[in-house]
Formats: sequence, structure tokens, C-alpha cells
Amino acid sequence: MSWNEELDELARRKRLAEQMGGAEKVKRQHDNNKLTVRERIERLLDVGSFHEVGATAGATQYDADGKLIAYRPSNQVVGHGAIDGRPVAIAGDDFTVRGGASDARILEKSMYPEKLAHDLRIPLIRLVDGTGGGGSVKDLDKLGYTYVPRVPGWDIIAENLALVPVVGLALGSVAGLGAARVAASHYALMVRSVSQIFTAGPPVVAHIGEQVTKEELGGADIHARNGTVDDEVASEDEAFARTRRFLSYLPRNVFELPARTESKDDPKRRIEALLTTVPRDTRRVYAMRPIVEAVVDGGSFFEIGKLWGRSVVTGLARLDGWPVAVIASDPYHYGGAWTKPSCEKMTRLIDLAQIFHLPIVHLVDVPGFLIGVEAEQASTIRYGVRAMTAIEQSTVPWCTIIVRKCFGVAGAANRPHNRLSLRYAWPSGEWGSLPFAGGIEAAYKAEIEASPDPAAARERILAKLNAVASPIRTAEPFSIEEIIDPRDTRALLCDFIRLAADLREAGMSHFTVRP
Amino acid sequence: MKKLQTPITGTLRSFAVKPGDTITVGQEVAMVESMKMLIPVLADVDGRVTRLAKNPNDVVHEGETLAELE
Repeated sequence: MSWNEELDELARRKRLAEQMGGAEKVKRQHDNNKLTVRERIERLLDVGSFHEVGATAGATQYDADGKLIAYRPSNQVVGHGAIDGRPVAIAGDDFTVRGGASDARILEKSMYPEKLAHDLRIPLIRLVDGTGGGGSVKDLDKLGYTYVPRVPGWDIIAENLALVPVVGLALGSVAGLGAARVAASHYALMVRSVSQIFTAGPPVVAHIGEQVTKEELGGADIHARNGTVDDEVASEDEAFARTRRFLSYLPRNVFELPARTESKDDPKRRIEALLTTVPRDTRRVYAMRPIVEAVVDGGSFFEIGKLWGRSVVTGLARLDGWPVAVIASDPYHYGGAWTKPSCEKMTRLIDLAQIFHLPIVHLVDVPGFLIGVEAEQASTIRYGVRAMTAIEQSTVPWCTIIVRKCFGVAGAANRPHNRLSLRYAWPSGEWGSLPFAGGIEAAYKAEIEASPDPAAARERILAKLNAVASPIRTAEPFSIEEIIDPRDTRALLCDFIRLAADLREAGMSHFTVRP
Repeated sequence: MKKLQTPITGTLRSFAVKPGDTITVGQEVAMVESMKMLIPVLADVDGRVTRLAKNPNDVVHEGETLAELE
């Protein structure tokens, strides 16, 4: 007596499942420059680590004798595996089965990876390719009634954002719920020219009079530049490599702390180039990224959101081996002024840092919020106060380096005010409620207008103000705690992380990510 | 046709290239003043400039074409 017959049947069904949508559909997937879901999982995870769950779930047909005559696997491959030896949950859409459409989806199975991540408290990676389980008009014919829409499992999807790292990869054309599953994540990517994201695709938007291609409607030129996804990548392999790297900075869940890795970079390393980085002419810009790359552990800066919200640079990095989040102004975009998208990008990173207990380093060169008609039309101040509130609500350790400008309400948000945090300024620092070149006319209006030579009066006032503008004077009333030699910036940041590492507290944040 | 667009709104102060010039990614092609700062516009594509689409002192808006390339 044995159970071999059943095991043989199980093995047969698993072999059928491994064929996915069949040779023709697999070829079409490859012809479209896309990997199959099984190839994706193999390339993403540590070799041999994938444990598939529910491989044989699918739609079946039996003959009168109860013999299986047709089998179509469900269009999701799910399970768990490992990345760098740490467990992750996988939700992989299979586009070769009914184009990822909802009629080939099994609801319980599609929710399984979300629950796996939620209850085992492990990171979740969604490989999204298709509509991802949203409804179809076709369903109505089968059901015989309409329904009030719901997103099954949205409760868990939202809860997961407060519990475990969630990565959403758009790996094809994703629409409707598929698009939502990409965006509802801590880190989202799309593959240039291969992925498109939209609420509804070209045939649907044609009904509102828009004749557009998939790429025109939801390609990387749109969604990697508006923040729907954090970044675009050139290939699926790059998406997998970035996913692995993103997760390397984070703990497995919020109940753990980010792990320190061994660093070969001297924490006291002096950076000679920083002495001459910032031009003395305040109208001239300089590149911020090389500064960030120089002060963190060599090669550890992982930029997030390079193509949107470009007046700030955000990302993850390490200081003496400790993972940190970095926010740095980019003078090449609006002089580093806070714009609506840059405020959204900062808020997103601060939320991430808060949830997963990453100390924040802020390199400041902020002339203020962006001004002008376009900035007002964009509701910059609404998104600005949102970012300021995220800063104020944060409880993770925080260190600010004022590199140059620090003006206005946005400048005041250079650090949270709810607690002491370390702050340093370079000698290039200049600050105030507003730059006095722009404020003189308003503040000294009467004096300038009453003068027989208004231009000379303005120059006289400017010279007087310039005389008090030295940051060294600001240190007299302790309005800035410390002016430092820029070359010591890395040493001071490593000192900060040494002091701050023990202040990180595991557990759920009192506020959570709003994707 | 490739286009060179300004990533920021501001006042175009000058071009650093002229029609016929070959440009490469990262090269400074124009100077736009914004937030009282002079901000270089760097090429994000390679190509040869065929036409300048704006004039110095024009107000340019984020995403607007400054020059056409081939």
C-alpha cells in the first residue's frame, strides 16, 4: 500500500502548472521582451530558495469518469523565498494565463502572499503584470448581477505598509487594480518601454476622446517623472537588483531594527574636496550628489526618485555601516527650492524612515518654497506643510547639515523641533526669513522711496545688511549651534550615527505610510 | 526629432550652444535664471543642434523645448 498514485497525479499537475499559459503564450511573452513569472522569481530570489504555494490551483475540466481533461493554472505564482538569506513573500502575476485577467484569478490564492507577509512579518514583493485581479465587464455576464465594487484585501494591503517592506514592480502593462498594487508600496519601479501603468488603458480612454498609445498614456516618461513609481529601470534584471538592494537597508519588519553591516570606510575620513565645493558667488550652483556620495560610506548611496521632485535628492545610504535615509537639496533644480513634487518625495522618504527606524540625514540648501504663478497653481504650500508635518511627526534620530541657503518656512523645516537634534552649518551658510536681496524693497520701502537717490539708498542698506550676514555672527546668539569645516562632515555624521543608533526604537510607528 | 527641454521654469539667460553644434549628455547647453540663481541646463540626450526654439530673456516653462536636435 502506498500513496504513489496520488503523488504521481500531483506531480503531473505541477508539470502542467509549470507550462503556465502554454508554449505559444510563453513565446509571445518573450517576444514582448518580458520574462515569464517563473523566470522572474528565479532571477529575483536566492538560488533554489523559492517555495511555491498552491502551484496546482487552477481551473479544471473532468470527463464523465472523473478524469482530468483540461487544466489551466491560476494566473498568479505565489510563495516565499529568500533574498540575501532573509525571507520574503512573493506575489507573481502570470500574464501568459489570460493576460493576467481577473477571470483566471483565484481570490484566496491572490491574497495569500499579502497574508503571508502580514502574519509572518516578512517583506513582500509584487511582480505585477496585467490588470492584477480587478473586475471585468465579462464577469457580469457570468454572475447575472452587478455589484458594488470593493478591493479584496485592501485592509491587509494598507496594514502591510505599516508592518513590512513592500515592493511593487510593474513588469508589463498594468491597469486598474494592477496599477494600485504597484503604487501601494514603499518602493515601486517600472521597466522603460516594457511597462506602462494606467487606471484604464487606451481602448477605454478612447471613449473620452483620447487616442493614445500605451506608452503615451502610461509609460515611464509619465510615471517615473510624476512619482507614481519611484524610478524607471532599463531591464527586469535591474529591477530585481534594485529590489534586493532596497531591502538590504531595511529590517525584516517594523519590530526589528535595520542591521549594521561591516564598513571598510574610515568613519573619520576627511574630504578635502568639500572645502571648495560651494561657490562663493551665491548665484552659482554646484552638484549635491557628489557631496552625498562623499560623506556616506563609499558606494553605499542608493538614490530613490531620481527623475521626479528633482529639487531634492532622496535615498538610502550607510554611515559607518548603519543604514540611514538621506534628504539633500539639489541646487540644479530651482536652486533647491521646495516644489510640490519634491515635498511629496520628501514626505514619502520620511514616512519610510519613520516606519523602519532609519535615522535621517538632511543636507540643506533651501532658498524657500518655489515661488511664482505655477508654484501657486500646484498648491506648493499644501504639499509643503505636509512635508513639514512629516518632519515634525517623525521620531527617528535626525541630523542636519546646512550647506548653504536656509530661508523661509521651508528652511525652518530643516529639522524637527519636537526634540533636540544635532545640527551643523558650513561656513557657506546663509539664512533668514527671506534673502535680503529680495526683502529690502518691502522692508525699507519708505526709506528707499524718500531718498533723493533710491538706488544708492538700496545699495547702502544692502551693504549694511551684508556686514551682519556672516554665519559666524549667527553663532553668537547660538542661533546656529556649530559652524564646521566642511571637510569634517563625514566624521561628524558618523559621530551622529554612533550616538543615535541606540535611540532607534523597534515597533509600530505612531503614524504610518500613506502611499 | 529630439528635443532639449528645460527642467525648470525661469528666465532664459543664454545659450551655450548654437545650431550645428554637437552636444553630449551632461553638457551645459543653456543658462536659466530661477529663484535668483543661474542654473545651467544640462543635455539629457546626445545630438546635433538644428534650431534654437527660444531667445535669451524669454520666460521658459518647465518641460518647454529650448532647442531641437537631430
